[in-house]
Amino acid sequence: MEIKGYLMPGNTLNAAVIVKLEPDFSEGNVSYNADGTLNRAETKSILGPHSAVASSAAFYAKVRYGARIAVTTMGPPIADVALQQAQVLCDADELHLYSDRMFAGADTLATAEVLRNGIAKVEGGQLDLVFSGHRASDGETGQTGPQTAWKLGFTFLGNVIDYDIDVPNRMVRAKRLISLQGFYDVIEEVEAPLPVFIAIDPSYKASFNTVSQRLAFEKYQKEGKVRAQDYKRYLKVFNAQQLGADPKLVGLPGSPTIVYKVERIPKAKASRKAEVIDGSSREELRKAAAKMYEILGGMVIK
Amino acid sequence: MVEKYDVAVIGGGSAGLAALKQLSNLGKQAILIEAGKQLGSKNVSGGILYSKKPRQGKAHNVEDVYGSDFLSDLPVERKITKYMLHSTSRNKIFTMDLTAAHEYQANFGYTVLMSKLNAWFAKRAGESAEQQGGGIVSGVHVKSISWQDDGRAIIETDELEPFEVKAIIAADGVNSEVAEMTGARPKFTPEDLYQGVKVVVKLPEEIIEQRFGVGPGEGAAHLFAGDVTLNHIGGGFVYTNRDTLSVGAVYHYDSLMRLPAEPSQLVNALLKNPMVSEFIKDEVAVKEEIDRNLPKEEQLRARFAVSKLIKTWNELRDAYHSPDARKKLVEAGKYKSEDEIKARLDFVRNELTTKYRTKFVTDYVELEYSAKLVPDGKRCMMKKPYHKNILFIGDAAGRGVFIGPRIEGLNVGIDDAVRAANAAARAIDRGNFSPEYMGQYYGDLVNDSPYTRDMKEIDKDYLKIFLDATKDVPKDIIGQRYGMVFKLMSSGTLRGLAVGLANILGYDRLLPLVESEDTYVQVPIELAEKMGQPVSATYAPTIPTVSQRVAKLKYDDDRTSHIKVLEPRSEFMKKMVTLCPTNCYSLEGEDVTLQHEACIECGTCSKETEWRHPRGEKGIVFQYG
Repeated sequence: MEIKGYLMPGNTLNAAVIVKLEPDFSEGNVSYNADGTLNRAETKSILGPHSAVASSAAFYAKVRYGARIAVTTMGPPIADVALQQAQVLCDADELHLYSDRMFAGADTLATAEVLRNGIAKVEGGQLDLVFSGHRASDGETGQTGPQTAWKLGFTFLGNVIDYDIDVPNRMVRAKRLISLQGFYDVIEEVEAPLPVFIAIDPSYKASFNTVSQRLAFEKYQKEGKVRAQDYKRYLKVFNAQQLGADPKLVGLPGSPTIVYKVERIPKAKASRKAEVIDGSSREELRKAAAKMYEILGGMVIK
Repeated sequence: MVEKYDVAVIGGGSAGLAALKQLSNLGKQAILIEAGKQLGSKNVSGGILYSKKPRQGKAHNVEDVYGSDFLSDLPVERKITKYMLHSTSRNKIFTMDLTAAHEYQANFGYTVLMSKLNAWFAKRAGESAEQQGGGIVSGVHVKSISWQDDGRAIIETDELEPFEVKAIIAADGVNSEVAEMTGARPKFTPEDLYQGVKVVVKLPEEIIEQRFGVGPGEGAAHLFAGDVTLNHIGGGFVYTNRDTLSVGAVYHYDSLMRLPAEPSQLVNALLKNPMVSEFIKDEVAVKEEIDRNLPKEEQLRARFAVSKLIKTWNELRDAYHSPDARKKLVEAGKYKSEDEIKARLDFVRNELTTKYRTKFVTDYVELEYSAKLVPDGKRCMMKKPYHKNILFIGDAAGRGVFIGPRIEGLNVGIDDAVRAANAAARAIDRGNFSPEYMGQYYGDLVNDSPYTRDMKEIDKDYLKIFLDATKDVPKDIIGQRYGMVFKLMSSGTLRGLAVGLANILGYDRLLPLVESEDTYVQVPIELAEKMGQPVSATYAPTIPTVSQRVAKLKYDDDRTSHIKVLEPRSEFMKKMVTLCPTNCYSLEGEDVTLQHEACIECGTCSKETEWRHPRGEKGIVFQYG
């Protein structure tokens, strides 16, 4: 028996998420070379934090509208780890890895070309929603998403913090966090017909506020964990030929950007003054307490 | 459109989960609403989980609800095979073996830690419920219940949109908000309740077996009365878990009101008893001050190194003293043999002593401090455990068995749950959820429960076990106080007569005689003084303060308080300054003020406060429970 309420009859939504395998920048995992550049060999790679947010945004479509989800990425064979981690988050039905030596050295545009070719293979090209993160934590350009959207010809919605879909009318209503005429943190609400490409804002947090959504959430979350343990069953790997990618548009040949030099950003001068109080004697401790009292001023401390 | 479900179970403790499981077993749709984020994170028990085989009537046991899965998985700690009662007076202890009382009409009794046990129950119950179109919704706190004209209930929560149900099973514990908001019963009074406070103490697996004289998987329960009660009605306990001990004190709330004592002090009195001190003792690494003359970086390096080594030593030592963990380490290829683990352990210890001057002392390690109110069923069980289309089960219905050392709540809650689920399933089949049809039927089922009988009548066979256990006790100690009772009880024919007479008198009139300071304090002290053996401790345990205990707990703090003080100057509230287990109350001038941050949601202060559980996911998160 199915849970009443959350599975829409005749589910028609198909979603894809584009993710990226990125260095784990969390403390204790990241390692740098002597010149301050990232030591990629020593640093573990994981699903990028923004990709994780994109995955949970796709998961919302699964829980709310029973969408089918495909997670896609371009990368070396080991990038399947990112797909597996994304599957835990969004209970993906399919995992696509676009991997070929020909793709090496790609900039954002060449990457978008591969992703476009790949996404066209998902659900026979019948896609309603594509999600991407806001940017990558190693590239920080934030270009791949919009460029893929442009190549796909989908309506692009960036900085999305919340969205809902009117499934029968095939309309998306989304909230975007933008700055407008000098005001930061303005929330703009927009409506767009499917299909859309959503670049999700890092502050996005899904909320489920009915019993049926919570039940579906629990169910799919569990399913995602189980599926991810056996993720290779859901994994399809495509090379350039299988994607039908044009060799002139992918990899190094397809990349107009050339990075010729990376400079270290000079350290900003600290403006605060620190006074070291040695906590060995009561007198010193009293000084510290007096300082805290002075700073906290009017606050009542119990 | 409002979502509709057949049954909502409110509260995901062991009773609520059993109700969900039983409804699913019967093929009915039900959802369970739990305020905690993780199931089991808000539950505390002493605790022993019993399975019973009463001579009259049937008890619905845990293994009946969860099937053979329970007995093969055993999400429990140890099977109790030794059950001892100790009378204490200073350093003298008189011991009686009550294993026969523990085994009385029991299939088994396992020690349990609620966090682990309820997580296991939740997994099973949740999976079954899903197949019937229901499931568990956690992190949601029920705010109100109202009724439509057709009798169906609308449940409002702090987190979700309102939803409609045909029946409700209220399993929201001793401080049931459902009972209060619907007016199904008044709040319990101190007279109705016991307050339990517990600390979980760390002790390696095989050391427990050695010290308590039990085999692998087996355990012991030790109960204490006498001077450890600090003159209160109730007693202390030490239960063995797999690699921890549960040390707790359970006292009649009324007697705490008469002679206020800090709950933590009651547990401390027990910890300081020489026998208990020896039970809990362990080898503990103590960090030495780091040499301040060393360069700053060197000091920092040493501090990290010591912390890491002590952590390694602790983990490895726990593993070394556990057959399973030892085997796993060898199988995983981390060590070639068990001897190698021992060698590594000695090496780490040596490293710590010689390089970092770490000392290894005899002391004990507390992991978690907790508290809970326990309803005494014979005083406060709901006469009609239903209201409109709500059925109350377990603690929420005030149902628990309290007879001397016999304190049972978990099995009672599970038994109630099955009866409530059966009544709700029958109502679904008939489409009739009226109190006359569903409520009354449940009331009848509950009346048939052997536990209800235990809450109403004295069981003379159970009494006889006590008399047998005390047969070596000189008559003058017991005779002074219970002379008449004793004489009647020691003869087979007269015992029947006496119990009959007592039952006619009823618990109300008997309780002041039996549940008295004589029973829990004076007689045990006299027993210990006259017949006890001297016991001494080889060390004095370093007992943490309440704030140190609170600092170790995990909370998801809600900035607004879930409790409101109504009468800041009342006598009751003034006593809360002493009786709150985590010292949340303090006296400022004439007024009692509350700082809710340390609240562990026991409900001790609930009688004269506006008391709610915190919003979903907020508040205390017990790791052991």
